Amino acid sequence: MENLVDQGTRPDCAVIALIGVTREYAGHGGVVRALDQASFSIVAGEWVAITGPSGSGKSTLVNLIGCLDRPTQGELVIDGVSTSSMSPAELDRFRADKIGFIFQQFHLIPYLSALENVMLAQYFHSMTDAKEARSSLERVGLGHRAEHLPSELSGGEQQRVCIARALINNPPILLADEPTGNLDAANQKIVADLLRGLHATGHTIVMVTHDPEMAALAQRRIALSHGKVFCHPVNGPVVSLER
Amino acid sequence: MFFRLLMESFRRQRRRKLLAGLAILLGTTAVTAMLALATTIGDRIHQELAVYGANIVVYPAADQLEVKVGGVDVKPVSGGALLHESDLAKLRGIFWANNITGVSPELPIRVVGKTASGMSVDAAATGLWFDHFLGKADALKTGTAAMHPWWKIQGSWPKEEATTDTGSEAVAGTVLASHLHLTPGTVIQTNAGGNTASRSLRITGIVSAGDDTDNQLLLPLNAAQQIAGTPDAVRRVEVSARTKPEDTFARKDPDTLSPAQREIWYCRPYANSIAYQIREAIPGARAEQVRRVEQSEGTVLKRISGLMWLISAAALLAAGFAVSAAMATAILERQGEIGLMRSLGASKTTVALLFYTEAGLLAVFAGGLGYLAGSGLAGWLGARIFASEGPASAGSLLIPVLFPVVVTLALLVALAGSTPAIRRALTTDPSAILRAGA
Ligand SMILES: Nc1ncnc2c1ncn2[C@@H]1O[C@H](COP(=O)(O)OP(=O)(O)OP(=O)(O)O)[C@@H](O)[C@H]1O
Ligand SMILES: [Mg+2]
Repeated sequence: MENLVDQGTRPDCAVIALIGVTREYAGHGGVVRALDQASFSIVAGEWVAITGPSGSGKSTLVNLIGCLDRPTQGELVIDGVSTSSMSPAELDRFRADKIGFIFQQFHLIPYLSALENVMLAQYFHSMTDAKEARSSLERVGLGHRAEHLPSELSGGEQQRVCIARALINNPPILLADEPTGNLDAANQKIVADLLRGLHATGHTIVMVTHDPEMAALAQRRIALSHGKVFCHPVNGPVVSLER
Repeated sequence: MFFRLLMESFRRQRRRKLLAGLAILLGTTAVTAMLALATTIGDRIHQELAVYGANIVVYPAADQLEVKVGGVDVKPVSGGALLHESDLAKLRGIFWANNITGVSPELPIRVVGKTASGMSVDAAATGLWFDHFLGKADALKTGTAAMHPWWKIQGSWPKEEATTDTGSEAVAGTVLASHLHLTPGTVIQTNAGGNTASRSLRITGIVSAGDDTDNQLLLPLNAAQQIAGTPDAVRRVEVSARTKPEDTFARKDPDTLSPAQREIWYCRPYANSIAYQIREAIPGARAEQVRRVEQSEGTVLKRISGLMWLISAAALLAAGFAVSAAMATAILERQGEIGLMRSLGASKTTVALLFYTEAGLLAVFAGGLGYLAGSGLAGWLGARIFASEGPASAGSLLIPVLFPVVVTLALLVALAGSTPAIRRALTTDPSAILRAGA
């Protein structure tokens, strides 16, 4: 198999650029190459769907882009800065400023209310502001559930809290790892609409999904197989991308 | 938010926190008790040992050396300088007067005479205080019997009030008594000397001391002075004082110290400084520390405090391990949270701070309680070990200086104990944590 580097985006206007990124895990049964020489770029304001079978390296890729993990090899450039040149402290700062994570498992802190879960992201970013956090919840349609604990919310509602939390610091890049993987069709639609709105307001979205319907929402699909990248501009050519 | 996270952590992981807190509590309780005892044990041991003899001896400055052979003063009574019994009341006026618990003046004489049955007597004798009141207001009741509690008397001690111009009471040492067939009631008639008249000594008891005293007659000081014809004379004075254990500073010569240092030296109840004050108070006196008791006290102290340090260190170490184990599970349970916090941009330092603050709070609370419990334990143990009366033996032994020490130790133990768990949690890849958190 051969790597196809996407030609539709110019590296100079890319907000995310991977150049030969490899991530290997030293497991018990030898070295696992979760990502193999991945090279592609994503421009600002683009909505990219990452697809591929289980174990193909999708989460690995998202975690690398989110600077939660570092490549074993290759270079990852985000917003014009090479992450390999950054200190751990700079990476933390960078993550707080630039990245919003949306998880399949929501990862809400069970003993904090919806509002507090959103404020937690504010706390690690700068300082908490309950009013702002509440309006972020209102934006995902959960203003009235702000005081509820995650256990008192449905899966779809929890995912919306997770989205509100990802948005609170207004990061340019949203990373969603199977955001609708745990949701039914109705909730999937709500989340899809939210993402559509966020894309319309200029966020760059990198979304892992198994669902063809969700993938169809994205402008471009990046397919992974055994850690290798295949790019399919199935949803038509990338058009104007100014934020 | 920080406080919210802390509070919730304590609320939710109550059992783990309780376990870690309990470990710190027990550790600090042991340490506080040990430290409290170690700092007061000097006084206590002294109280115990003080009854076993004098720790300061006073004699005339003119005598360069005490000439004692086998405990007997071989210097002739006539020769050598003497102290004045009337000067001894000045001991009640020195700076550390209240630390003086016993005073026993001695005047060695010879008694030469005959018993009523015609047995000739030529024995060493010592004039002593038995139940003497030293000073006027709140006089110190003291004497040789109180300073030698191990002396056994058959019969009764001689009374100084019984001394008249013609005779007095006396007790005989067991060896001498069996030698001369002396029993309570026996009367010895002394020979008249150059300027002294013949006097009668009525034996009121037989004393067993276990040393050379057993070969002697003991009689009230006033009687000895009459027999020797030296009124107010004292050869040597034993003083028992409550002292601070000797340290390097104690051994300093006060006359070489700066005025400020000398002042400090003077105002510490070292045996040396008390001896110094006695020299100042009594004209023509030399006063020296007797090392015998002090030294054994020192070795006992050293051994006991060594043991205590060992127990304290072991208690703290055990607490450290318990905290380590409790924190390890507590943090493991919260791995997911840590991963999430890191994904939200929290630095390792921020996360570590959160957990360290938790451990620190726990340490301060548990350490504070441990301090109180340990003080109580020390009081109880003190009362058990030293069955002596005295203010310190009842109730708890609260030593405020120990509080910061104990809390600091608790903090160190808690922080050190939680470090491995926190480090492990932070070195784990947050992406792996989030992936596993399904
Ligand atoms: N921490 C790790 N240690 C060892 N191997 C790992 C680790 N994390 C991931 N892997 C391996 O890397 C490969 C890619 O994993 P990844 O989670 O990226 O897959 P994925 O595409 O997200 O799969 P899924 O669709 O099931 O979520 C897998 O084979 C996985 O076993
Ligand atoms: Mg995955």
